[in-house]
Amino acid sequence: MLRQSRRTLPRLQCYASRPAVGPRVRCRTVATADATGHPEAGIADPEAYCRDLVRKRDYESYLIGSCYPRRLQGAFFALRAFYVELASVQDNVSNSMIGKMRMQFWRDAVKNIADGRPPRHPIALALHDASQRANLPSYHLRRIIDARDAELHTPTHLTLESLTAHAESTSSTFFYLLLSLLNLSSSSTFSHAASHLGIAQSIHVLLRALPYHASKGRMVIPAEITARHGVRQEDVFRRGGNADGISDAVFEFATVANDNLLTAREMFKSGSSGGDGGKVPQVAMPVFLYGIPTRDYLGRLEAVNFDAFAPSLQVRDWKLPWRIWRGYYKREF
Amino acid sequence: MSFVRALVVAGPSARLAAGRVAASRLALAHRWHSTQTPRDPLLTTQHKDHLIPEVHVRSPGARTYTAADEPGKDFDPYKDGPSAIDKAVHLFFFTEIIRGMWIVLEQFFRPPYTIMYPFEKGPLSPRFRGEHALRRYPSGEERCIACKLCEAICPAQAITIESEARLDGSRRTTRYDIDMTKCIYCGFCQEACPVDAIVETQNQEFSTETREELLYNKEKLLANGDRAEAEIAANLQADHVYR
Repeated sequence: MLRQSRRTLPRLQCYASRPAVGPRVRCRTVATADATGHPEAGIADPEAYCRDLVRKRDYESYLIGSCYPRRLQGAFFALRAFYVELASVQDNVSNSMIGKMRMQFWRDAVKNIADGRPPRHPIALALHDASQRANLPSYHLRRIIDARDAELHTPTHLTLESLTAHAESTSSTFFYLLLSLLNLSSSSTFSHAASHLGIAQSIHVLLRALPYHASKGRMVIPAEITARHGVRQEDVFRRGGNADGISDAVFEFATVANDNLLTAREMFKSGSSGGDGGKVPQVAMPVFLYGIPTRDYLGRLEAVNFDAFAPSLQVRDWKLPWRIWRGYYKREF
Repeated sequence: MSFVRALVVAGPSARLAAGRVAASRLALAHRWHSTQTPRDPLLTTQHKDHLIPEVHVRSPGARTYTAADEPGKDFDPYKDGPSAIDKAVHLFFFTEIIRGMWIVLEQFFRPPYTIMYPFEKGPLSPRFRGEHALRRYPSGEERCIACKLCEAICPAQAITIESEARLDGSRRTTRYDIDMTKCIYCGFCQEACPVDAIVETQNQEFSTETREELLYNKEKLLANGDRAEAEIAANLQADHVYR
């Protein structure tokens, strides 16, 4: 073993510039396919990488992605993969310094994508590809990064207002990006509806992950709401759904989400934007399909009497693909 | 009934001892009492021998207080312990012995906990941090993009990276060395990596005969990655959910 490792040392330089070897590659691909059930493409096919990442980590978006026009699907999955990647940074790092470094990497990446020389990261390559096809303002991307960066320091919010502001600059900003992907960013109605939908969607994700966050000792419901219902955080971390007042707090938090969802829906009912009787225009529908999983989740939450820790809320709803498909064709969310 | 016997035997001597203690306490109390009572100034003029205890000078109404009279100061060594009956019950309860023997008997018929270590291995967490590896994409391309975040975050400064631009414009490492003797297996490199290139695998058996073999170069790390790719991919997937 000793002799072998000494022998490899001088070959180091030439190895780096050597192209990948054939037979090894094949056996590795097989191994990956065994582990994940789907071969994960890399630099060679960034779009497939992003699609795969979204499928594994955010299945709802994967379903929604298939409602986009074929030529924009790659861009949609690139944007969503970017969003998911940033959102999961805080779960993958053990201290905020490392998280900040990764955010800085993405800040540089966004800058370099705008300059036309993306880093060799599959998501960055896919984003670059998307930005060639559609006008994606990089300040939206930067705003998402900055918001996630700030979240590393303050994962919890004291007031509903600060949480709403955070949702505005993550989820809603992502919807603005989708609108500009579909060339609809000039419509103020769509932007306004997207901003409310973003807040609703953000709260939906937070509520769904409440058991997870509680197990990590984080309280995602703003302190303003929990204080109103006399919820003790430690009680929630230890006793979960049996904690005093938690279901009242969850109810109030879910009500905020529902109000925002209703407001977003009202935008199309008022009829000023060419929407006919509450129907979303077909071109914008893929963006607003995000309202369907949110509505679905809130309905299931109501069915279990606002016990966010109920196991039935943690499983994926099998009716969701049908609901999304139906929502897309009925043009409502 | 040995405890009864013990009580009987201990009884008289204990009582004697108690009596002795009480007597000496009494004497001491008299001393204190006599020195602390305010005296009549007329009486104090005459010379007195202070070495002789003045047991006869006593205020008519005054009582002699001993330490035993002080509330809450009495000392009972058996107060917090079990009572004599409890002790006896435990001493004579053979079921306790039998219960112990029963556990032994149960274990006798169970398979042993011992694992034949080099051949059998215990469970490992998917987050176990062992030997390092560099991963590739399924196309065979290296994941590492030479961003040097791992080098920057490494608290032990065990990672050394040199990079250059390739002909196609991508930056690649020409050198990626990890000094495994410096590494503290904190996993920061893995967390900092934006492309999941450097990971810590589950392998913990990489002891070597010489120190030089623990200075890993890029080729060794890539070989580790090739060997454990399936395992790494499965472990990474284990806790990746969008929340």
